[in-house]
Amino acid sequence: MSRYEENLWIITRDNLFALMEVFIKTREVIAPVRGHGGEVIFYPIETIEDVAWDWQYVNAVLPPKRFFLPQTEVMFEYRHDNSYKITPHYDDQVRMIFGIRPCDVNALIFLDRFFGGGSLSKESTDEEPLFPDSHYIKRRANTFIIAFGCHQPGENCFCVCCDAGPFLEEDYDLQLTSMNADYVVEVGSARGLKIIYGNEHFFRKASSDEVKELERIKEGALNTFADTCAYVSKAIRRITEGKVDDSLWEELAERCLDCGGCSYVCPTCCCYNIVDIALSDKSGIRTRTWDSCAFAGFTRIAGGEILRSDKKDRLKRRFFHKLSYRYIEKNKRHGCVGCGRCITTCFADISMPSVIEAVRRQ
Amino acid sequence: MFNSKLYIPRAAIVENVKELTYDTRLYRLKFKYNCKCKSSSVNDFKCGQFVQASVLGAGEAPISICSSPTAQEYLELCVRDVGRVTRALHKLGKADELGIRGPYGNWFAIEELKGHDLVFIGGGIGLAPLRSVIKFVLDKRDDYGKVIILYGARTKEDIVFADEIENWGKQENVSVFTTIDKPQKGWTGHVGVVTTLLDKIKHAFKYKAFVCGPSIMIHFTIKGLLDLGWAEEDIITTLERHMKCGVGKCGHCYIGDKYVCTDGPVFTYAQINEMAVEV
Repeated sequence: MSRYEENLWIITRDNLFALMEVFIKTREVIAPVRGHGGEVIFYPIETIEDVAWDWQYVNAVLPPKRFFLPQTEVMFEYRHDNSYKITPHYDDQVRMIFGIRPCDVNALIFLDRFFGGGSLSKESTDEEPLFPDSHYIKRRANTFIIAFGCHQPGENCFCVCCDAGPFLEEDYDLQLTSMNADYVVEVGSARGLKIIYGNEHFFRKASSDEVKELERIKEGALNTFADTCAYVSKAIRRITEGKVDDSLWEELAERCLDCGGCSYVCPTCCCYNIVDIALSDKSGIRTRTWDSCAFAGFTRIAGGEILRSDKKDRLKRRFFHKLSYRYIEKNKRHGCVGCGRCITTCFADISMPSVIEAVRRQ
Repeated sequence: MFNSKLYIPRAAIVENVKELTYDTRLYRLKFKYNCKCKSSSVNDFKCGQFVQASVLGAGEAPISICSSPTAQEYLELCVRDVGRVTRALHKLGKADELGIRGPYGNWFAIEELKGHDLVFIGGGIGLAPLRSVIKFVLDKRDDYGKVIILYGARTKEDIVFADEIENWGKQENVSVFTTIDKPQKGWTGHVGVVTTLLDKIKHAFKYKAFVCGPSIMIHFTIKGLLDLGWAEEDIITTLERHMKCGVGKCGHCYIGDKYVCTDGPVFTYAQINEMAVEV
């Protein structure tokens, strides 16, 4: 347990609604919203009523990755009159993500380390990062995280196998867990505590019974993960040692549709392309867009040669990157948080659990 | 860094353009403005590093620096017209502006090889990054031993830096051997792929070998060097990838757990073997 503050707080549902209305006035609040097709997505809300409060879902179909690494973002715009004039674009919008799940927060911590060279929500003691990415870092630093702990896993969830849930231990601002009609609030950062003290009339301190009840809820939630893959470490070892036979990737390659969906829905996938778009003869923008190692063109070099033209090599790459100990050493964790979105998305059943299972059986 | 913000290129001016072949040009660049950044001067890089060159509207591409840091006044890029960005670069003339980010990547550890004999094996435009080291070595001639240069091109029209290659051969303790792939009218020199020149360096297996060219050429050259008795650590090559960021983030230049842009582009064959991939 490494909360920023040992105290737990209680906020009633009505008070939470009232507090959120305050936030909505002062910043962009992103929350799970039910879309027209019934699916739940993270979207900016205008009123607290927009939030999909029924909690009949566990997680949004897409991770909130796009609020930190947009699918397309403008890095700078340029004008060319007599000489070039470049105007960098940085997103300074103050945001709050409300209702983000622990798996997605762990994915953000993973991205923080990758783009910023350390966990951003607390003082980093890591060595000075190599090439910190200010576009990402600005967005992340301006985003307040209100996470919701999970009482019950969804159909495809396996965060417990990935050390990424169902509750957060650190690196959040506030973590809410519903208890009876109210919410227990854990404080994970200095700015989280500031919110509590700045709005103290909405909160009360939790009683010792409530503290115990939260522990019971957390234990109970863990026990609901019954039938999940428990072979992650075996897959890590075999992939790291190069002991997975190529026939496995060949078999998967026969099914893979090359669609890149796995990367797009994955909260930790963050490879990108940089593309210029000319808006006129004299002006245009440089954009950064999502990319995927599943695409054949990902490794194209000058002259048109594609270095990983074989689909099996690209699949092998994806899982090597996610699971190899060589990357764990760099990223301080493996690249899967168990959100289960690749299971939902992939038409060909090439998901993290199915690959881990295939590696085990091989 | 030449540039103060990670993704924002710094303006450079084309000082001179030289036609090297029908599709390859040499650009001599200077920065347009001073910059309060870490490596602000044009020669503040090391042999083997690359830059991301931008033509705004067309995009950005990684190009290795082919001048030597011993040249105080300029930065040179050798550009072959092979894609969208390089085509746009080819449209630039004297006094035109382009964007530069970098220098990125590791470098040839040439300063640690003082006193050594060196062999350079280049294929086609692969001579460009080697030219940076060759010029460095020739500018500090007393620091290094014998130099042998093997260079192969597809046809005589594809030979880059032809006049420079000729001049290198005239220097003391420098031997140069050039070849083209197939016999051609007006060519009296050696014919055959560059590996057919390897018997010229049979005796030289104690030399440090620098290899750069198309991947197939690197593959067979390294094989040939190993057969001649070279140690894996003494074969140094530089790999080509299309990095989009140059700073270890976009993912495009992966090899195993390495990124060619930050862990490379210079690797010894021993390191490449450890990464367990085809070159």
